[in-house]
Amino acid sequence: MRTIKALAAKDLRLLLRDKPGFFFTFFFPILYASFFGLIMAGDDRGSKEIKILAVDEDQSDSSRSFISRLDKTAEMAVTPSDLTTAEDQVRLGKSVAYVLLPKGFGDAMRNPFKHGFPNLEAGIDPGRPVEKGMLTGLLTMHVFESLFGQLANPKFARQVVNESVADIKEATIADPLTRATLLTFLGALDSFLGSVIEEKEENTEAGGAGNAEAAFGFPKLEIGVKDVQRKRFGPRTFYDISFPQGVTWALLSCSAAFGISLVVERTRGTLVRLRMSPAPVWKILAGKATACFITTLGVSTFLLLFARIVFGVRPLSPLLLVAPIVSASLCFVGIMMFLSVLGKTEQSAGGIGWAILSVMAMLGGGMLPLVFMPAWMQRVGSVSPVKWAIYAMEGAIWRDFSAAEMMLPCGILVGIGAVFFLIGAIAFNWVQKA
Amino acid sequence: MLRLHRLRKCYGPLVAVDGLSLEVNRGEVFGLLGPNGAGKTTTVNMIVGLTTPDEGRVELDGFGAPSNPAVRLQIGVAPQALAIYEELTGDENLRFFGQLFDLHGRALSDRVAAALDFVGLTERRRDVVKTYSGGMKRRLNLAIAVVHEPPLLLLDEPTVGVDPQSRNAIFDNIQALRDRGTTVIFTTHYMEEAQRLCQRVAIMDRGKVLALDTVDGLIAAHGGKSVVRAETANGEVRVETTDPVAELNRLQRDGTLATFRLDRPDLEAVFLNLTGRSLRD
Repeated sequence: MRTIKALAAKDLRLLLRDKPGFFFTFFFPILYASFFGLIMAGDDRGSKEIKILAVDEDQSDSSRSFISRLDKTAEMAVTPSDLTTAEDQVRLGKSVAYVLLPKGFGDAMRNPFKHGFPNLEAGIDPGRPVEKGMLTGLLTMHVFESLFGQLANPKFARQVVNESVADIKEATIADPLTRATLLTFLGALDSFLGSVIEEKEENTEAGGAGNAEAAFGFPKLEIGVKDVQRKRFGPRTFYDISFPQGVTWALLSCSAAFGISLVVERTRGTLVRLRMSPAPVWKILAGKATACFITTLGVSTFLLLFARIVFGVRPLSPLLLVAPIVSASLCFVGIMMFLSVLGKTEQSAGGIGWAILSVMAMLGGGMLPLVFMPAWMQRVGSVSPVKWAIYAMEGAIWRDFSAAEMMLPCGILVGIGAVFFLIGAIAFNWVQKA
Repeated sequence: MLRLHRLRKCYGPLVAVDGLSLEVNRGEVFGLLGPNGAGKTTTVNMIVGLTTPDEGRVELDGFGAPSNPAVRLQIGVAPQALAIYEELTGDENLRFFGQLFDLHGRALSDRVAAALDFVGLTERRRDVVKTYSGGMKRRLNLAIAVVHEPPLLLLDEPTVGVDPQSRNAIFDNIQALRDRGTTVIFTTHYMEEAQRLCQRVAIMDRGKVLALDTVDGLIAAHGGKSVVRAETANGEVRVETTDPVAELNRLQRDGTLATFRLDRPDLEAVFLNLTGRSLRD
């Protein structure tokens, strides 16, 4: 064990002394994951609001107030516009949507019982179903909130009652009983609202709360809130996708670096010296594998901690994340062993090694996430350990895998690693004897 | 100390070592002298267990065959190629290889310091090896071979590509090791090195031992006659003789000797006589 420890420590020390190698092992994957996370997130990173244009054809206090209300919400950024410009902006994709407040909007808002419910028109590309749903929902909510807010105001409500009384008096109603009943009811309502207003004014003068809703006599609704964690069905941020990719790049880089280092030992003669020592060949290989394994574990942990601290990547199951990290590290140690016997010189080993690793990365979603690839390509990707490494890490970060679900990708990774290691070790022995 | 019995090793059609047998005594400096391609390095590799002979066997007295890794604790090797980690310091290189040879703790520190001192690299111990000169790297290569104080030391062309100063330092190191009782097997194609350092020399060519004896014995047996060139009153004289001193005495007695030059045979002449070609061909 002491020999393996010495061999591993020597390789780790050599890695630390090799500044370009150290950079490509530890920092390049961070740049990669950060860059791809950023470009996948696009310009809207950190901003959840929908950019819309507001076309005010009503030009009333109510319409202006409504537009101002929309603009103050966190969900929308509103810019005034005319209809022609608004349509062009949406067509060109410069704005997500426009909202048209037609003539009569203010009257409808002021007295929906008389003028009918306020109408709105939203212009949006049919290819934006998510934004469309969100926008119509938000507009409906704000219209209702505005109306409710007005009706909760006793002065506004009394004004609506008085308008209704005047309309009834002017209208021709055939049945005198109906007319009398309506006028009696509205008169009683007017008296009630008058008393509410007086009471409110007295409360205000006495230093009371002066709360319109409370004065109106509606009890304030108390709603208990219980935290129930919503089950996530997708990545929370694009960094949830890009960092597992970054980790696999680090693993690829580690296996290439250590594989090539074994070739360098062969070409520079240090391997001969190691083999002249009392350490048997299996210990020499175990030392190299241990150094590679420690590095892959270290770089994976470093990258995921970086993602957690800087980009807020929070695994759903940090404990379960240990399984893919360990199994992916074992897998790439095996691949390292295989790569070390592919070339006679460090140049040829590097060339052949990176060619193989690049194909693995390409097929397995290391370059472009598999979700963006066609279905057949996703199936082909199953031959690549990169796919399983990313899949397993995503399983712990956002796919919410159970321990049982995690066993399949992790088992595949360990299996691939074992096969590659065995092939590499046999070939290594054969090359040495030859 | 070491016995090689009928060793044979082929690489395809090439016979690298062909029926080599010899014994190396405890405490002697033994030279394997031969041109490049003579089979010296293959022999060293078989001695250390790195290469398995096709036929024959290697035996280290009291320990068995070096193909068993544990037996290699008794052997130190300075390979012909500089087998050191250039990105590590001299100290780190020695510590690492010392650990492979079962040294640790205080013993490791002491042996590393002693090995560095032995080759004169103590002052540069903290510097990375890539900043060393070629001669310093060769000396570190030797220090690694002796860090665990092996009773048998194999030096494969230890002076290739070094400056005269470092070469002399390495010679001094080898003589010091001999004085301590270390058995040294020394391969070289420089006859003057073998002549200066080795008590016995095996002359190899094409995988075979052509002759094995002390340096004087080899010269006497295969070196041919000495040549005396003298200027006398009767003109220039050139005499080939097995006893140059007697010949010079005779010329002196005649009273005609003015000046003379004596060319004694050396290992180069031995090799030439044995193979019909020069050692450096």
